[in-house]
Amino acid sequence: MITRRALLANGAKVAVGTVYGGTLVGFLTGCGSSDDADTPIVEVLPGGLMVVNPMLCVGCRRCEIACSWSHGKSAVSPSTSRIKVAKNLNFGPHGVQANYEDQRGEQGDSTIVPSTCRQCDVCMTVCPQQAISVNEETGAREVNDDLCVGCGYCADKCPQQVITIDKTTRKSLKCDLCQGNPNCAQVCPTGAIKFYTWEEAVAEVELHEKYLELV
Amino acid sequence: MTTTYGGWAGYVLRVNLTTKVITKETTETYHDYIGGMGIGYKVLWDNHVDGIKATDEENRLVISAGPLSGSGAICSARTTITSRNPVIRNHLITDGHFGGHFSPELKFAGYDAIIVEGKSDTPVWLKIVDDTVTLEPAESLWGVGIFDTFAAVSKMMGQQAQVAAIGPAGENLVAQSTIQTQGGHSAGGHGSVLGSKRLKAIGIIGTGTVDIAESTTNEQLRALDDHILGIIGANNNGVVPNQPQSWAEYSSSGSRWRGGPGVKWGAADTPVELEETPWDDRQKVGMRSSMAEMYFGRDEANKIFKRPGGCHSCPIRCFCEIKNPKMKTEYKLPTENITNVCLGFLDPWYSMGKPSSGEKRTDIQTVGAYYMDYNGIWSAYGQLSHVMREFTARDFWKIILPAEEYAAINWAQYADQDAHFMQDYYTRIAHGASYNGSNIFGRMLGQGLHNFINDDGELYNIEDILNEVESPRMAGLTFALESDEGYEFYGETYSVFLDSHVKVFNRSMVGGVHHASESAGQVGALLNTVFNRDPQCHSHINLINCGLPWAKIAEVAESMWGPGAFDPVKHYTEMNTSKAKFAKWCLVKNVLHDSLTLCNWMFPLLVSPDVNRDYIGDSSIESQMFSLVTGIETSEAELDAKAETVLQLHRALTVLQMNEPNQREKHDVLSEWVYDLDHDMNFGDEGTIKMDRDDIQIGLDMFYAEMGWDKDTGVPTRATLEKFKLGYVADKLESLALLPA
Repeated sequence: MITRRALLANGAKVAVGTVYGGTLVGFLTGCGSSDDADTPIVEVLPGGLMVVNPMLCVGCRRCEIACSWSHGKSAVSPSTSRIKVAKNLNFGPHGVQANYEDQRGEQGDSTIVPSTCRQCDVCMTVCPQQAISVNEETGAREVNDDLCVGCGYCADKCPQQVITIDKTTRKSLKCDLCQGNPNCAQVCPTGAIKFYTWEEAVAEVELHEKYLELV
Repeated sequence: MTTTYGGWAGYVLRVNLTTKVITKETTETYHDYIGGMGIGYKVLWDNHVDGIKATDEENRLVISAGPLSGSGAICSARTTITSRNPVIRNHLITDGHFGGHFSPELKFAGYDAIIVEGKSDTPVWLKIVDDTVTLEPAESLWGVGIFDTFAAVSKMMGQQAQVAAIGPAGENLVAQSTIQTQGGHSAGGHGSVLGSKRLKAIGIIGTGTVDIAESTTNEQLRALDDHILGIIGANNNGVVPNQPQSWAEYSSSGSRWRGGPGVKWGAADTPVELEETPWDDRQKVGMRSSMAEMYFGRDEANKIFKRPGGCHSCPIRCFCEIKNPKMKTEYKLPTENITNVCLGFLDPWYSMGKPSSGEKRTDIQTVGAYYMDYNGIWSAYGQLSHVMREFTARDFWKIILPAEEYAAINWAQYADQDAHFMQDYYTRIAHGASYNGSNIFGRMLGQGLHNFINDDGELYNIEDILNEVESPRMAGLTFALESDEGYEFYGETYSVFLDSHVKVFNRSMVGGVHHASESAGQVGALLNTVFNRDPQCHSHINLINCGLPWAKIAEVAESMWGPGAFDPVKHYTEMNTSKAKFAKWCLVKNVLHDSLTLCNWMFPLLVSPDVNRDYIGDSSIESQMFSLVTGIETSEAELDAKAETVLQLHRALTVLQMNEPNQREKHDVLSEWVYDLDHDMNFGDEGTIKMDRDDIQIGLDMFYAEMGWDKDTGVPTRATLEKFKLGYVADKLESLALLPA
C-alpha cells in the first residue's frame, strides 16, 4: 500500500523538468517505464504533473483551438498553437512512409501522437537574446516578447518541434503552461492531455489501488 | 483579407481546368448566403446552363466552408460540395458533405471556397499552399486507390497536408462515387464530376489563421464553449445514456450515448474501460458516443473498437476507429485498420443481407468499408445496397445478367456471407465498363437506379439501357416472393416504387429514404420531398432520438411549433400546421448548418442532458457562435432568415434546372410503398410508418403555406423570393414562365 504521505514525499524528490515515458500510476508507483514516444508522457512541474496519453487522443484538436484562444488575439491556427496535433495527425511522428498503413496516425493504425512542449531547457539554452527564462511558479520556459527578435533558433532546435515564429509579429510562440492551468488540458474531451496537481495525482493512485484490490 | 469581419477567410478560389487559369475573388459577394452550401447554390445559380449533365464541361463544382469552420466553434469542420449529381434524375443539383480537417485547412490557407470549372485534358491535382496555388500533373495518381492517393499527395506536399481525392470509381465516371478526405470522411455523388474534369485530388497546407472579430474576447469564446458543453449530448444529440447509469434519471435504447459500463476501447494498445460517463465530466465527453456497438454488436465492438474519431473541433466523436487483424491475415489487405461510421459500415452489411453480429458481420463491414473507400464508392444513403440485397433475394440477377456473367460471380461466397465477396463486388462497381470481363452487374449498380426504370418504377432491360437502345425492352421482373402475397402487386410487374425494401422515398427523384416517415411521420416525409437527394437532415432526429420520454419531447415540440407537432415514432396522427412548421424549421436549420458550416448530426440542441435546466437546450447557439466569430451581432431569427434565403434559392434552382413549374406533381411525389406497406394496418395504427395519400396532400398544402410557395405548384412566389432579396431569381423564373401567376 502506498500512503499519501509516502507518495507526496516521493513526488517531491523527483526533479522538476523530469519527463517520464509511461503512465501516471507507473510514474508514481515506480512500476514500468518506456522511452517509446507513443506511450503516455508524464512531465514533472512545480505545481503537479502533466500527462499526455496518445491512446486517449481522438484527434479533435480542441487543444490547439484552446491554445489559440488563450494567447493574444483570438485567431485560431494550428501554426500559432503551442501544442501540435496536426503535425502527426494523418501519418504519425515519422511522416509519410511507404508502409504508412503500419505507422501511427489516421492513415496508419489511428493512434494520434500529440506533440507537446516538455519544458526542457533547449530553447532557453540556444536563445541568443536570453529571451527565454523559467517561471519558477509554473516551471514553464517562457518567452519575453520584449527580448525576442524572432531569429527562430528556438524553433529550429526544439526537440518536439512545437515552437513557431509568428509570421506577423515575428515573435516566438511557445507553451507557457497558461500560468499553471493549461487550457489545452481543460478542453480535452477524453483526458488525453491532463494536468494533475499533486493532490489529484495521489487520488488517482489511490483509485488505482482500489481497482487492483477488486481484480 | 477581410478586415471588417471575423470568420470568413476572405477569398474564393476559381480554378478553370480548361484554361488552367486560377483566380481569386472576394467572399463578400456571398455574405448574404452565409457560406458553405450558400456559396455553392449561389455559384450554381449564377452559372446555370440548361440541360447539361453532371459530367459535362459546363458543370461547376463548389467545395466550400462557412464562416465558423476553422474558428474553433464546436463541430464546425464540415465541408460542403455542391454540383449537379448524376445519381439524381435529370442530374439535378445536390450538396454532399464531409467532415474531417479539410475545411479548416482551406480556411487557414486563406480561402472560403474553391469553384472548379472546365475540364482538363490530362489528369491533374490542385496544390494549395497559402497564396501559392498550382495545378500539378496527376498521371501517376490516376487509377490509384484513395488511401494511396492521400499518402502520395502528402508525401509531395508535407505530411500535415489535408487532402481530398476521388478514387477509381470517380475516375471511371461511375455515378455512385465520392469525394473523400483523410479519416474515412466522404461526400456523396460528385466523384465522377471531378473524374470528368480529371481533377484527382486537392491538397492544402494553410499556415495562416482564421481570425475572430476584434470585438470578441477569448473569455467570451471559452464561455460559449463551456455553455455548449453543458448542453450538448452524444451523437444525434442523445442526451440520456443508452443504458442506465447512476447519474442519469433516464436511459433509452435509442440514444447514441453508448459509452458506459461494459463498453471498452478494446483494440487500443492499452484497452480503455469507459465506466460511467457522467454528463458533466468534461473529460469524458469524447467517450460518450463510442458507437461501434451500434454497427458490430457489443461483443465484437469491445474486441475491435480502438477509439472514436471524427472532425476538427468536435468533442463528440461519432466515427469508429476499428482494428480487425483479419483484414490483413485473411483478406490480404495492406492494413488491419479502418475508420468510418453509419453507411460506411452498413452498406456492405445491407448488401450481404444483414447477417447478425459476429465475426462474419465484422469481416463484411471492415473489408467492405475498405473496398468502398479505396475505390471511392457512394452508397446513395444505402440505395446501392438495398438494390443489391433485394434483387438477390428476388433472384433478379439471374434474369438481368448474361448467363456467363452470372456464372462468373461467386454467389456461393455471397450465400455463405463470406467477406471475400466484397473485393469483386466493389471492384465491379468502381471499374464499370473498364472491368476485366462482362460487367452489366457493376455498371448497373454504379450508374444510379433512375437510369433503369420507367415512370412507374418498372425496370427496363439493363443491357438495352447501357447500350443506349432507343426503345429499350422491359426487364420482365415480377413480384413473386412469399412476402409479396398479401399485396395487390403479387404476380404483377416489379416496381421499385412498390417495394418498401428498396426504400426509394421521393419517387420523382428516385431518392433514398433518410429519416422520413420511419423516423418522424409527416414531418420526416415532407422534408424528404424537398431536396433532390436524400435530405441528410437531422434537425428533427436530434430531438426525436434524444432519448427523453416521448411526453418531454412532445412538450418541447409544442413549445416550439404548437400543439400536436410531435407524434411518437410509429404512432402517427393526422397532419396539422404545427407539423408543417416543424418540417420547415428542420430544413432551415439544416441549410443553416450546411452554410455555417456546422454539423447537422449534432445541432440544433433543443434539449440537453442537464436535469437542472429541465433538459432544455438552446436553439440560439448557432447565432451566438456566428455573432462572436464574425462580429456581426445576429439574432437566431435573423440568421435563420439568411439560411432560408439559401433554401429558397435551392428550390428556385431546382425549378430552373428541371424547367418545370409544377413541383408538386413532378418533384414532391412519394413512392407508393410509403402509403401501401403493412397491408394489414391503417395509417395511424400504432406500429406502422405508413402514410395516407390525402393526408400528405394536406401536408403539402400546409408546408407550402409555411414556405411561401404556391399551393398548386410548390414554387416560391415572387413575394416570397423578394422577401429574401431574391428578386433577381423571381425575374429569371418569370422570364421562363416558371414563376406562379
